[in-house]
Amino acid sequence: MIKSIVARFRPYALPLAVLIITWIVIAVITPTFRGTGSFYAVLEGFPLIGIVTLGLAVTIIAGELDLSVGSMAALAATIAVLTTPVGLVGCVLIATSMGIVFGAVQGMLIARLQINSLVFTIGTLILLRGLTYIFSGHAPIVISNIEITDVLLDRYGIFSVRSIVAIVVFVIAGLFLTYTRWGREIFAIGGARNEAIAAGVPRVRPLAVSFAISAGCASLAGALAAMLGGSASPQNYEDLLLSAAAAALLGGISLYGGRGTVLNVALGVAVLSLVGAGLAARGSSASLVQLVTGGLLLAMIAIEFLAGRLTLQSSIFRRSAR
Amino acid sequence: MSQSSEEGKKFSSVFREKIPVVGSLEVLMPYIIIGLAAVAIIVSVTITPSFLTADNIRAILRNASIVGIVAVAMTPVTLSGNFVSLAISQSAMLAMVSYVALLGAGWHQAPAILIVIVGLIIVGVIQGFIVAAGLNPIITTLAAGAIIFGVVSEMTGGWIVLAGENFVAWGSSNVVGIPIQVLIFLVFTVLVTLLMSRTVIGRETMLVGANRATAQIGGISFTRVTVIAFVIFSVGLAIAGVLNGAAFGQATAVSFPALTIDVIAALLVGGTAIQGGQGSPLRSAGGALLISVISNMMVLNDFSSGGRLAVQGGVVVVVVVLLDQLRRRQVMRL
Repeated sequence: MIKSIVARFRPYALPLAVLIITWIVIAVITPTFRGTGSFYAVLEGFPLIGIVTLGLAVTIIAGELDLSVGSMAALAATIAVLTTPVGLVGCVLIATSMGIVFGAVQGMLIARLQINSLVFTIGTLILLRGLTYIFSGHAPIVISNIEITDVLLDRYGIFSVRSIVAIVVFVIAGLFLTYTRWGREIFAIGGARNEAIAAGVPRVRPLAVSFAISAGCASLAGALAAMLGGSASPQNYEDLLLSAAAAALLGGISLYGGRGTVLNVALGVAVLSLVGAGLAARGSSASLVQLVTGGLLLAMIAIEFLAGRLTLQSSIFRRSAR
Repeated sequence: MSQSSEEGKKFSSVFREKIPVVGSLEVLMPYIIIGLAAVAIIVSVTITPSFLTADNIRAILRNASIVGIVAVAMTPVTLSGNFVSLAISQSAMLAMVSYVALLGAGWHQAPAILIVIVGLIIVGVIQGFIVAAGLNPIITTLAAGAIIFGVVSEMTGGWIVLAGENFVAWGSSNVVGIPIQVLIFLVFTVLVTLLMSRTVIGRETMLVGANRATAQIGGISFTRVTVIAFVIFSVGLAIAGVLNGAAFGQATAVSFPALTIDVIAALLVGGTAIQGGQGSPLRSAGGALLISVISNMMVLNDFSSGGRLAVQGGVVVVVVVLLDQLRRRQVMRL
């Protein structure tokens, strides 16, 4: 009984430890970063990087990688700003559904052509960025009726409207991945693709669904950020991929596919958001945040690698995880 | 009887993986790229009269050369089965900033260039050893890129680094009418291509990429191959950084913003397989040229920068899918 509980929480132990230690270190060295304000600041990382990471993580779990999330977010931000006349909820929904449709088509093509998703999405990354420039007319665009976005500035304790949206998306994604057939198929196809297909899992549907989720999440995040900022710029979000990949791996999503949950994603995003917010509270530059993120990421994959090596001898089944 | 047919199946399945490497497709592949480039050029010439002028051809070659040098240099990394680096922009930026900073500190050209190359090789070899130890190359280089960018930005404080008043802009000079970058691109491509196709280490790189387990049983060290591939890659990055530094005389931590994507696009359009084992530096050079021709044609026809990006992305998707399907057909037929 205890053993099974321990086994269940084992995947979260390392990221949780990293989160707690980082939080303590930052709180000790930064007097301004304590109390409810710090929780609010960390949660504010979830609407943009968190939602994007969630989508990216689903493709990693499916054994693929969607490199186009940054460009997708930029395109969705532009479309959301262009469609603001239909209202706040309407334009976010339009941008998100456009992303979902694009992602589903992209996933379907990747599955049908059986092409490496890394290769395919690097092409769509360029393509979507080009479309973003075309739609925005090669310049930043602003919302004319800015007052419709006022609701996004409301704050409820440590939550904002955007972070509540992010939490709802995380919960829905978690339930979908854990309890539905379509969600389980994504794990099966990512963990052991040939075996899953031999056992009757369809080849196309899980990939179409996971890429639809990643593009949909990226679109939602981009649209929300554009609504908060009141503008969209065509060159935005080029480094979103780094942040999202770093957060997913910091949280313990296995790059080899088939492993990881929404909780892993949440922990990873919390670590990344904490580093960003904590260093910003100290007045550090954005480049130092990147430096620390890179260092953490490297340390994390090294620890995961060494831990995998040590347990390899005791359990032959772990080999499939590598 | 049944056992021997089982053996036969295994045998043929091994060959299925092997034959395409030396099969007709492998011979055909460069021609496909050349054919596509030819089509692009013919279309360009017919719709744009100014395409075939000496100035324009020089511009195309110059635009292709920096991306081409780095794409050629990265090809051994990809061939050895280590995918691609996501730290390309940052590493080239490191080379450019340190070269310009050394000049600004009063160093002479030759020692400055040497220091940059050695420095980049050290950074590359560290990544090579980490990757060879078994860590994922994509994530390792992603992290390395973030660290390099962070360190350089902190050191420069976000300011522009200048080469000082004694700066000679040899990076924008011409040798017998040919821009110096183009000459270096040409020489570098020939050298790396020969290294990959005519030397033991080159053959070992291809074999490790095609089938790592077999190569290791055959006594080839994956660590050695990977580290050497990263050394070649680092030399290319250093050259690219020095060339741009010598052309502009100044650098910032955000130099080379689009290089990572451009280089990977050139490599893939050239037809080098991302899984490794198939491809050549020459093809990556071809990929860089093809992209440069297409984007030049669009510039001459007044495409907006967004339109050019969209077309470039479309070309990458189409070519990559086409080559992948051809490769797959070939494997099926055998």
